[in-house]
Formats: sequence, C-alpha cells, structure tokens
Amino acid sequence: MRYLLISFCCFFVACGSFPNKQQFQIENTSKTTIHNPYFSDEAKDYIYKATIDVYKKSFGGIFIVKKIGNQHHRIVFTTELGNKIFDFSFIKDEFKVNFILDEMNKSILINILKKDFKVLIYEVLNVHKAYSFDSSKIYETEINNKKHFYFTANNQLNKIIRVGNGKEKVVFLFSEMNDFVTNNIEISHFNVKLNIKLKSI
Amino acid sequence: MHNITISLLLFLTCFIHAQTPMSTSEANILKATVKERAAITKTISSDFIQYKHLDFLDNDIETSGKLIFKTPDLIKWEYMKPFKYSVLFKDEKLYINDEGKKSNVNIGSNRLFKQLNTLIINSVKGDMFDEVEFSIEYFKKDNYSLVYFSPKDKKFAKYIKAFHITFNTEGDVIEVKMIESSEDYTKIVFSNKALNKPLEDALFTN
Repeated sequence: MRYLLISFCCFFVACGSFPNKQQFQIENTSKTTIHNPYFSDEAKDYIYKATIDVYKKSFGGIFIVKKIGNQHHRIVFTTELGNKIFDFSFIKDEFKVNFILDEMNKSILINILKKDFKVLIYEVLNVHKAYSFDSSKIYETEINNKKHFYFTANNQLNKIIRVGNGKEKVVFLFSEMNDFVTNNIEISHFNVKLNIKLKSI
Repeated sequence: MHNITISLLLFLTCFIHAQTPMSTSEANILKATVKERAAITKTISSDFIQYKHLDFLDNDIETSGKLIFKTPDLIKWEYMKPFKYSVLFKDEKLYINDEGKKSNVNIGSNRLFKQLNTLIINSVKGDMFDEVEFSIEYFKKDNYSLVYFSPKDKKFAKYIKAFHITFNTEGDVIEVKMIESSEDYTKIVFSNKALNKPLEDALFTN
C-alpha cells in the first residue's frame, strides 16, 4: 500500500505542470502582454552566421531576417557562398515557402523550422500567468496552442521554452544583447536532434 | 532649362554606362583573347569581395577573402571577413573549414558551386563559351567585356538563371554575378589578381 502511494505521488509529480516541476513561484502581475523586440525593427537587416546540427550532420550558412511590415517577416538561409537554401515569408498567420532546395524540401523539417522561426519573430504575446524564479521573471504565453514560457532578467528577454506535456520541448536562448538586438541565439530541441546556433555578423 | 539639364544628365549617365552588344567579330576576338590568356595561366591568386543581394534587404551582405587556383582544377575560396570560412574543391570533393570546424559535406553548396567553379575554371582555360550548355550574349561596357551565360539545363536554371561575367581588356575575369530565378544575386568582385605566382600544393589543404 505504501509503495502504491509513493508510486501515485511520483506519478503526480511526473505529470505536474512545468512551473510546478521547476518550482516557479506564482506572481501577481499587471502585465497583460510581453514583447520580443529582437526582430522588430523594419529599418534593420538582421544577419547571422549560422551553424545547424541536424542528426549527425553539421552545416553552416548565413541566416537573414527582415521585418518587411506589420506582422510580415522574411527569413532566408544561404550558404556562405551565397546559394539560397530556403526562403520563407511569414505574413500574419500565413506561411509561404518562396524557395527551398530540393534536398531540404521535407514537410516535417519545414514544419519544425516554421514553428521555431515563428517564435523568433512573434513580437507581442498575451500573458496568461506570471512566475518568478531566482532573479528571473517568467511569463506563460501561447503560440499555436502550445505553452511557451518567456524568461526575463532586468526586463530583458533571455530565454523562451516551448513546453509540451509538462516537459521542455524546445529552448531558445538569447545572449549578448544590446538594447533590441541579440547577438547570439541558440535553439535546442529535446525530441529531435536539431540545434541551431546564430551569431550576429 | 532645369528640365533640359536633368534630361541631358540622364542621357549622359545612360550613355556612359550603356552596354552595347558586340559584333560577331568582336565576340570572336574576346574568345580568342580569353583562350590565349588561359593557355598561359597556371595559377591565380586574388582577393575578392562577395555581395549577396536580396531584394528585400536595405544593404547587400558583404563578405571578403582570397581565392587561389591552380591548374587543372584546384580551387580554394577563403573567407576572412566577417567570419573565417574556407572551402576547397579538390578531387571532386568539397572540404570545408568553418571557423576551425572541419567537414567535407555541405548541403546546398556542392552541386551548384561545383558548377560555378567549373565555369570559373573553364573561363580561365578559355573553354567556357559552350553553346551546348549556355545561351551566350556578348556586350561591351566601358572598357570591359560582359558576357551573359544562361544555362539551358532547366534544372540548373531553376537555381541560377544567368551568370554575368566581366572581363578586362587582358581577358581576365574581374567580376562574376550569379542571378537566381528570383532576380536576387551573388556578385563576386576580384581585385589584386596575380597570375602564375608559385602556389604550393600545401596551400590547397583545409
């Protein structure tokens, strides 16, 4: 009977919500929205040197983001030599593949990239709940019906975690920020072997 | 009066920068010059600046480095700014050194860039004027010769619609522009070009 109880306890802990498992403290907040400023300036060309590790392959290239207008972004990835690998448009909730190399034209891959890049460019999110942990303030939001936790320190966004079934699925890390530009981005996936590193050039 | 001045200026600007088609004999002279130059070329070393033009960007993406070439088909592009990256074409393989991280497979760049390199190597050898592979048009622009190569292979044309290669009066390639079907392009401008400077095989490692 005791084992059964322990098992039940373990089961509930395992199935607990992400904030509980992470021991976040719930906070009262007047904040209704949170902003991601990193790709929000129409006057700027955002250019990064990229390294993508997918399964056992690693390849590099140049990652380009441009805000064209309100809720309108273009994301292009080229090799260092200039050949385009993919070219995507995000217009509101619409997504368009302008170009993709035949070798990369797999719907599973496109779907993963689409979801990841959507997070990078999503500027204003509704806050559902707020938490704190150490010196971080954490905001629970939703993108495409998936829970995303936005971590800030000193009012600066430094991490986003996409959560599914109470577990981390994808982590977006931002570092070396100055004002509204992040010089380093790392996107790590937990359920597929995919890691994207971006360094501003 | 003001309008006339502007019109005149526009006309002059157009006139100065206009490119005019070459006559058949002029095109033949160019081909002969390039072939002659190629026959004596054993090595090339050159600086280059690459401009990636994407229509939606405010500025072209500028990267630069050095190119070395040795007959028959060794070629190395070494980018130094704003990052260190080199790619070596050797024995039908692509060797990459990405800021110290070495590999010899690279998605996307191999097939297309192999074709571009074949084209550049061929331009050095003088046998690039391949009417079977390309529709070719010849122009004069200022003191330079400008040749448009449009791939006839539809699969290839999907990626690169045309190569525009600029030659100086000596028949050296000074600029290569690869135009994608979307009109975005990659332009490579060569400078400080040295011909037949001894280049050891050891330089062609990555």
